[in-house]
Amino acid sequence: MALLQVENLRTHFFTREGAVKAVDGVSFSVEAGKTLGIVGESGCGKSVTALSLMGLIPRPPARIVEGSVTFQGRDLTKLSEGDLEDIRGREMAMIFQDPMTSLNPTLRIRTQITEVLDRHFGYSKDDARKRAVELLEEVRIPRAAERLDDYPHRFSGGMRQRVMIAIAIACNPKLLIADEPTTALDVTVQAEILDLLDDLRRDHEMGMIIITHDMGVIAETADQVAVMYAGQIVEQAQTEELFDRPEHPYTEALLGALPQLEGENVRMGRLRSIPGRPPDLIAPPEGCRFAPRCPHANLSDGCAQRLPELRQIRTGHLVRSRHPASERQAVPV
Amino acid sequence: MTLPANPRDAVATGTAAPDVVAGAGAQAGAPIEQANLWRDAWRRYIQNRGAVVAGAIFVAFVAFCVIWPIITPYDIHNDPVNFSQAYEGPSLKHPLGTDKLGKDLLTKLALGGRISIAIGIGATLTILLIGVVYGSIAGFAGGRLDNIQMRLLDALYGLPYLPFAIIVLAIIGTNNLWTMVIALSIASWFTAARIVRGQIITLKENDYVRAAKAVGARWYRVLTRHLLPNTLGILIIAIFLELPGVILGEAFLSFIGLGISPPDASLGSMAQEGREVYRVHPNVIAIPSIAIAVLVLCANFIADGMRDALDPRTRETKEH
Amino acid sequence: MTAFIIRRLLWTIPVLLLVILLTFVLMRQIEGNPFRRSSRAVSPAVQQNLERKFNLDEPWYVQYALYVKGVFTFDLGPSLVTRDRTVNDIIKEHFPKSLELGLLAFVWAIALGIPMGVIAALRQNSAYDYGLMFFSNVGYAVPSFLVATLLIYYVSLKAGLLPTNGWINWKYKILPSFALGLAPMAYFARLVRGSMLETLQQDYIRTAKAKGLRWRRIVTVHALRNSLIPAVTAVAPLLGFIITGTFVIEVIFSIPGIGRYFITAVSSRDYSVVMGITVLTSFVIVIANMIVDILYGILDPRTRDART
Repeated sequence: MALLQVENLRTHFFTREGAVKAVDGVSFSVEAGKTLGIVGESGCGKSVTALSLMGLIPRPPARIVEGSVTFQGRDLTKLSEGDLEDIRGREMAMIFQDPMTSLNPTLRIRTQITEVLDRHFGYSKDDARKRAVELLEEVRIPRAAERLDDYPHRFSGGMRQRVMIAIAIACNPKLLIADEPTTALDVTVQAEILDLLDDLRRDHEMGMIIITHDMGVIAETADQVAVMYAGQIVEQAQTEELFDRPEHPYTEALLGALPQLEGENVRMGRLRSIPGRPPDLIAPPEGCRFAPRCPHANLSDGCAQRLPELRQIRTGHLVRSRHPASERQAVPV
Repeated sequence: MTLPANPRDAVATGTAAPDVVAGAGAQAGAPIEQANLWRDAWRRYIQNRGAVVAGAIFVAFVAFCVIWPIITPYDIHNDPVNFSQAYEGPSLKHPLGTDKLGKDLLTKLALGGRISIAIGIGATLTILLIGVVYGSIAGFAGGRLDNIQMRLLDALYGLPYLPFAIIVLAIIGTNNLWTMVIALSIASWFTAARIVRGQIITLKENDYVRAAKAVGARWYRVLTRHLLPNTLGILIIAIFLELPGVILGEAFLSFIGLGISPPDASLGSMAQEGREVYRVHPNVIAIPSIAIAVLVLCANFIADGMRDALDPRTRETKEH
Repeated sequence: MTAFIIRRLLWTIPVLLLVILLTFVLMRQIEGNPFRRSSRAVSPAVQQNLERKFNLDEPWYVQYALYVKGVFTFDLGPSLVTRDRTVNDIIKEHFPKSLELGLLAFVWAIALGIPMGVIAALRQNSAYDYGLMFFSNVGYAVPSFLVATLLIYYVSLKAGLLPTNGWINWKYKILPSFALGLAPMAYFARLVRGSMLETLQQDYIRTAKAKGLRWRRIVTVHALRNSLIPAVTAVAPLLGFIITGTFVIEVIFSIPGIGRYFITAVSSRDYSVVMGITVLTSFVIVIANMIVDILYGILDPRTRDART
């Protein structure tokens, strides 16, 4: 049984202007010890998905209107807040994008780590302190014992993210969700953090979900990838498979937008961006949501009329498009 | 929704269907378009019911104070004193009653309101003027000059406001509208200066300032063309934040007898007159005090409404 | 930490000197000489003697220097008008009452204002929240003399619960301190509410929730501390308000404090009393500001290192 099974999740934000359908029918699963990457541009709903899993969406105005999130056999959407609190930090943990604002500036690092241990395990003060030092060492913070009593502003960005990771793994969770963990960091630090996450995943046998807009990060860390667009998954496959044989026009565009430094297809021209903007999520179009920006969209195929289903095009490879790459006749310029 | 043959062309030629309603006037990377900013702010302000009501009441009261004395049948200054009609309660002839000299309280209220509001606005504008000058020099110059100015400001903060104003009044000698304005503003411009300085410092780091400097604009041009217009929003809010303080300050001074000398009377002096007899005739002190409270309340609400309106962050939850 | 405190302490000195200088210069500008009032006509010879005795014939900088020396040796000079008393005497007699009034008002403001604000934030948009916002708006806008008058009218006269004026035992102190503390209380409540709401939006609160911490802990440990910081900065101007407010309250409640005395001193040109009181008040404000700064440093560790 999968560690985490999400079925048809729908999270809507109820605002004055209408209901924003931020997550509109998302399904995926995560296995223990494996990493799922969720990739997409800003506003596609990937972060809201992650927050919905943890039950951390702001209750007004947001609400999970449909779907189930089955974690270790229990449906998290049906649990009480108290039960969810017991699971958060203990079985399921999350790290966020901006380590600068995600740590409380007025509390020492030590406190922010030990309070998790205290909450879930009732550690004594000394034991908690010792464990905290171990955790900092595990996330490779030099001179851990000395730095334990520092405040967050004494740490650099990369260090702070490591602290966040230490807090997250403190209780040995089964699932770690990382929401854009490297976006706010320097490129060199990014690689270190991703390596660290990968090592931790293996050592602790955690399932991991990495959310990012950076295909490079996906290539580095994910075993499986789900591509999201406008609140829905448009393609899902094993990472290598996705990179080798992308099917959805959006995925192709994302991969095509990557700057290439070497290889046979080095493009000498401009970076190719995807023209247009994502649709308004209050009143999403009835047809395929990517259609206005899709070079293969076709009136006669009903692209703008009916939303394509997410279907299996090969084993383990799902796509939501009427014109996946392998079914097209002509190759566009 | 029509599908263009090639979406790239459509976008390039501007015929692509707009699918996201972008914030009015906000193109990525463009500088703030002033006209749209104000229109947006106005629209947001209107949505705030409290602020709109407060604004209406405020304007109505000011209008009353300005117009009523012109059309009133009573002439407070020249009508003969009429002790037999002193301290009457509300009636058709005198909707708010009369004071100890038999004068109509409604008219006195309007006149008092005129003075209080005039002092309030006068002092507020003066405060802002001093504050803008001091603050923009400090913020813009930075470095040593800023440091000195701020230390000076810290020291000035140590001056007790009321005693200071009292002493200034004593120096000037007379207590008329202008001297009150001066006394009150000299004692309270410090916060405004700080706010302006803070704002200038924040704005100074913006790229469009650097761009202006890179093009060779002189400092005063940068200051007046780029920085100050963008502090306008904060300044307007500051007006409605300082106004209550000044009105209350003037009320306090008048109440302890150091206000405007008769025959001119502000709301505070009216209250002071009613002080001795409040047990028997509470309306003499209550009416001007309530008027003061209403003015202050409205100013607070308006300030809040403006602050919300001019703050570019939207209230709807954003997902990233 | 101690270096920080000492630095702050040292800053008070130039501030005080400046205050004394400013007051001194200002007082000199006031027309009129305490000894030349028509009701106390004195002959020129006596006039001269008096001036010499009180150093009024020395050049201004000498007077200033003498005065500064006096301040630091706690000798604020004699009262120029009531010639048998010194300024120190006057202060000793009247100031403690004003101080007590001010402190009590402050206690009211904090003890009631902060919890009100916190609860309003936690129960945002509830009836309680709206009620509180209404109260705080009104409480802040209504001039304290009206509040005082109303309180006296309803509580003292009609209900006979508390005395109307004087300052003898605790019963006398409730109404005036409450009247004085009402506006700061309302201000605090509003401020804390706003600050708390904003703090609860912060990312680190989300992190705290993600850790599974119980709501009570999140509020008291994570949110409260951070939301009180802006409240601390508001204390300084509020203190100024309270100090100036004592003037009016003392007049209404006939409290023999320093505020009432100040006003008469100004009009009778009693230089030394005026200066003494002003310097004293400044001193109180400066010390209060310093305490606020130190408190701020304790609450927000970031400022400790950032101080130049």
